[in-house]
Amino acid sequence: MAQLFHRGANNIAKASMVLVIILGGLVFFAYTQISRSSYLTNRYLEKQQPVQFSHKHHVGDDGIDCRYCHTSVETAASAGIPPTQTCMNCHNQLWADTPYLEPVRASYRDNEPILWERVHDLPGYAYFNHSIHVAKGVGCSTCHGQIDEMPAVYQENTLQMEWCLACHKNPEAFIRPKSEIYNMDWRDSDLTADERKSLGEEYRLRSRELLTSCSTCHR
Amino acid sequence: MNNSKQVQSMRKVTVFALLLFTFALSTACRYDMQDQPRLKPYKESDFFADGKAMRDLPEGTVARGQLKEDKAFYTGKKENADPNIQVETTTDASGNTLVSSFPNDIEEIPMPVTEEVLDRGEERYKIFCMVCHGPVGSGDGMVVRRGYPQPPTYHDDRLRNAPAGHFFDVMTNGWGKMNSYASMIPVADRWAIVAYIRALQASQNPQGFGNEGGRPATNSNTANEESNTNGTAGNTAGNGGGDQ
Repeated sequence: MAQLFHRGANNIAKASMVLVIILGGLVFFAYTQISRSSYLTNRYLEKQQPVQFSHKHHVGDDGIDCRYCHTSVETAASAGIPPTQTCMNCHNQLWADTPYLEPVRASYRDNEPILWERVHDLPGYAYFNHSIHVAKGVGCSTCHGQIDEMPAVYQENTLQMEWCLACHKNPEAFIRPKSEIYNMDWRDSDLTADERKSLGEEYRLRSRELLTSCSTCHR
Repeated sequence: MNNSKQVQSMRKVTVFALLLFTFALSTACRYDMQDQPRLKPYKESDFFADGKAMRDLPEGTVARGQLKEDKAFYTGKKENADPNIQVETTTDASGNTLVSSFPNDIEEIPMPVTEEVLDRGEERYKIFCMVCHGPVGSGDGMVVRRGYPQPPTYHDDRLRNAPAGHFFDVMTNGWGKMNSYASMIPVADRWAIVAYIRALQASQNPQGFGNEGGRPATNSNTANEESNTNGTAGNTAGNGGGDQ
């Protein structure tokens, strides 16, 4: 009976072992990239809202402070979505009859909330509190990006655990003075490493062990 | 021999397929825990008739320690305020209805005005008031420049002589085209803003500061204030007209 495999098949067999490892590695790499892709994280995804509210106009052009609308960001877990009355503080006079704002007026008239689409949707198993981050010197733009340049708000970061941990492992690299929290033009390079360190001490940041402990975020 | 090789490669394929399958599963099953049945803030809920997951407090609820007995602090009104009294009003060039008598408003800020309070007032003023009233309170904020009707300036004798309670009352209940800010600004912050408005008034009128006609920026000089308190309602309108 003739040989079923040619002598060269030995080499093919050896090469295939290497190939499997490379292929496996590639598949794993593809998996990590797909998990981090905006397809799964909704990063950079602009959502259709009932009224296409522009942060670029209200924050960037008009200079309205974040806290004018997000009133509870310093005191509560949720930053707060403004009630329709906050819109009407200005829009009872400005653009008061444009069809574009009809959903806002209808909401005010009928006492029905506007059904905004949630842009930043943390998983149910993650605990998050805005007030503690603000109190410890994390600025709005550190997580939310250049909101003042976003006609439609999108998620600037993946909101994945590795992203949270990048800061929880080394918070000094991301904090800023209390007075600059709402400053959209603040850059991390505005502080030297020494200044950051003393700022971290001033804020009394908790230890790295505590900040990266499971129950800090999963409670 | 050949058979076992075939079996081996079959196994490889199976293991590979299993691995792929596990990866696929690990992406799919995370959404169960991602979207837990608990209700997040602002979420919709079909459990309640109004469709809101967040519940309003039942009417008349008093939280522990928040009976709000201190009427002057929580309303800015005098103890014996008359709810039926008519305030005197005038109309200015921009069509604003201006109050020129303040019979029910308390004269002084009912809490100590410290440097911290003024700083807090400045910060809150810049968040909530500056958009319309402008950085120094002359009514030229960004929203006004965009076409909102101009509010009256703080820097005339009418408002320099207005009691502190008037500013608090306008923030709390709104006036004219201005909506109530009671739900956006806590009570103590509203008084801090009043203190900062007094500081702004002093900054734009340094000559009048502390004089007979001008009011001090803060309530530090309480004894002096007391004597002014009586009959302010009648005086204010007259002063405003005379000095202009």
